[in-house]
Amino acid sequence: MDEITNVWQVPFSIFGYHNSFMTLNMTTLIMTWIVMGVLILFSYFATKKSGLIPHQVQVVAELLASYFYGLVIDTLDEEKAKKYFPMICTLFMFFLLCNYIGIIPMMAEPTRDLNTTLSMGVLGGIVSHYSGIRVKGIMGYLKEYFSPMWFMAPLNLIGEIAQVVSISFRLYGNILGGAIIIIILSHLTGSVFLPPFMVMFFGLFVGLVQAFVFTMLTLVYISLKVK
Amino acid sequence: MFDALSVTHAALYVGAGISIGFGAIGAAVGEGFTAGAANEALSFRPEKAGDVVKNMLVGQAIAESAAIFALVISMILIFTKSPSENYLVAWKYIGAGLAMGLSAVGTGIGSGFPAAKLCLGVVRQPAYSTKLLTTTLVGSAICQTTAIYGMIIALLLLFIDNSGMSLYPGWGAVLGSGLAAGFGAIGPGIGEGIVAGNAIKSISRNPEASDVLTRTMLVGMAVTESTGVYALVIALLLIVL
Repeated sequence: MDEITNVWQVPFSIFGYHNSFMTLNMTTLIMTWIVMGVLILFSYFATKKSGLIPHQVQVVAELLASYFYGLVIDTLDEEKAKKYFPMICTLFMFFLLCNYIGIIPMMAEPTRDLNTTLSMGVLGGIVSHYSGIRVKGIMGYLKEYFSPMWFMAPLNLIGEIAQVVSISFRLYGNILGGAIIIIILSHLTGSVFLPPFMVMFFGLFVGLVQAFVFTMLTLVYISLKVK
Repeated sequence: MFDALSVTHAALYVGAGISIGFGAIGAAVGEGFTAGAANEALSFRPEKAGDVVKNMLVGQAIAESAAIFALVISMILIFTKSPSENYLVAWKYIGAGLAMGLSAVGTGIGSGFPAAKLCLGVVRQPAYSTKLLTTTLVGSAICQTTAIYGMIIALLLLFIDNSGMSLYPGWGAVLGSGLAAGFGAIGPGIGEGIVAGNAIKSISRNPEASDVLTRTMLVGMAVTESTGVYALVIALLLIVL
C-alpha cells in the first residue's frame, strides 16, 4: 500500500511564510509534464506535412478530432462548436493519456491525485459559468438561479458545487481504485498471471470510459449554461 | 482475550466481511437483470446473438466494478498488519466496511438497468448500436459515482491518522461517517440507474432525438446524485471534525 499512499512531496515557502497547503506533489507534476510533452509531440507530428492524403499520425488525429467535433456540434450548435471544440478535444486527450500512463512500469497516473482532477473540474466550471455570463448577460445568468421558484436558489447553488465535486471525485476514485486493485493482485500472485488482465480492464477500459465521461460532462455543463 | 490488540484485529475481519457481504448484493441483482434482458432481446432477433452477448458482457463488467471495489477494501482490511492499542481504530475498520459495502448495493443494481436496456436496444436499432453503447457506458459510469464516494470514505477511514480523537464521541463519528457514505449511496445509485435505463430505451425508440435525450439524462442524473453528495459532505465532516 505504501506505493499508493506515499507521494513525493516537496514543501516550499514564499518569503519565509509556509503552511501545509504549500507543498508540491512532485510525482504528479513530473507525470503531468510528461503527458503534456507527449501531447505536444503528437500534435506536432500530426500537423507536420499534413496533406490531402494523410500520413499515419494524421489519420489518428483526424479520426479523434472529427469524432469530437461531431459530438460538440450535436451538443452545442455549429457556431459555438468552433469555439469550444479545441478545449473539449484537448481535455479528452489529456485525461486519456493521464489514465494510460500508469500502465507503463514506474509511472503513476496524475489523475490518481485529487489535485489534478479537482483543478480540471474547477476549470470546466469556470469556463461554463463565464460562457453563461457572456451569452446571457449577468442578469440573465443570475436569474437562472432563481428558477423555477425563488426559494430554489440555495438548492441550485448546492447543485453547482455538487457538479464540480462529483465530476472530479468520480475520475479520481476510479483511477485510484484501479491502481490499488492492480497493486494488491500483483502482491498476491507475485505479478505472474492475473495483473495483465486487470490492467486491461482497469487501465485501458475504465481509463477510456472515465476520460470520455469527464469530457462529455464538461461539454454538457457548458451547453446547459449557454442555452 | 478482550485486550485492545485482539479486538482491533477482530474488527478488521468484521469490516472485511461487511464490505464484501453487502457489496456483493447489488452487482448480482444488476447483472442478473442484464442477462435476463439479453435473453428477452434474443427472442426478438436470434441472429444478433453475437452482438447482444458482447454488449451484455460489457454492461455486466461495468455493473460489477462496485463489487470489485468492495472486494478490494475487504482484501486491504484482511491484509492490514497494524492492529493498534486504540479501540477507536476498531470502529474505523467497521466504518470503512460499512461505507464501501452499503454504497456498492445501490450502484450495482442501478448500473444493471442501462445495460439491460442496451441489450434490448441493440436488437431494436442495430444500426445505432455504437451510439447506444457509448451512452450506456457514460450512464453506467455515472451510476458508479456514489460507490466511488463510499470507497473514498473507506480509504480515508483506513489511512487517515486521527489518533488525537478521543474514543467516546470518536467511535460514533467514524461509525456515523461510514453509515452516511454507505446508506446515502443506495438511493442515488438505483435512481440514476432508472434515469439512464429509460434514456437508453428512449434513444433506441427514437435515435434522431439522441442528443437532447442524452443531455436530459445527464442533467437528471446530476440532480439525482445531489443527495449522494450531501451524504459525502456529512461523512467527510464527521471524519475531519
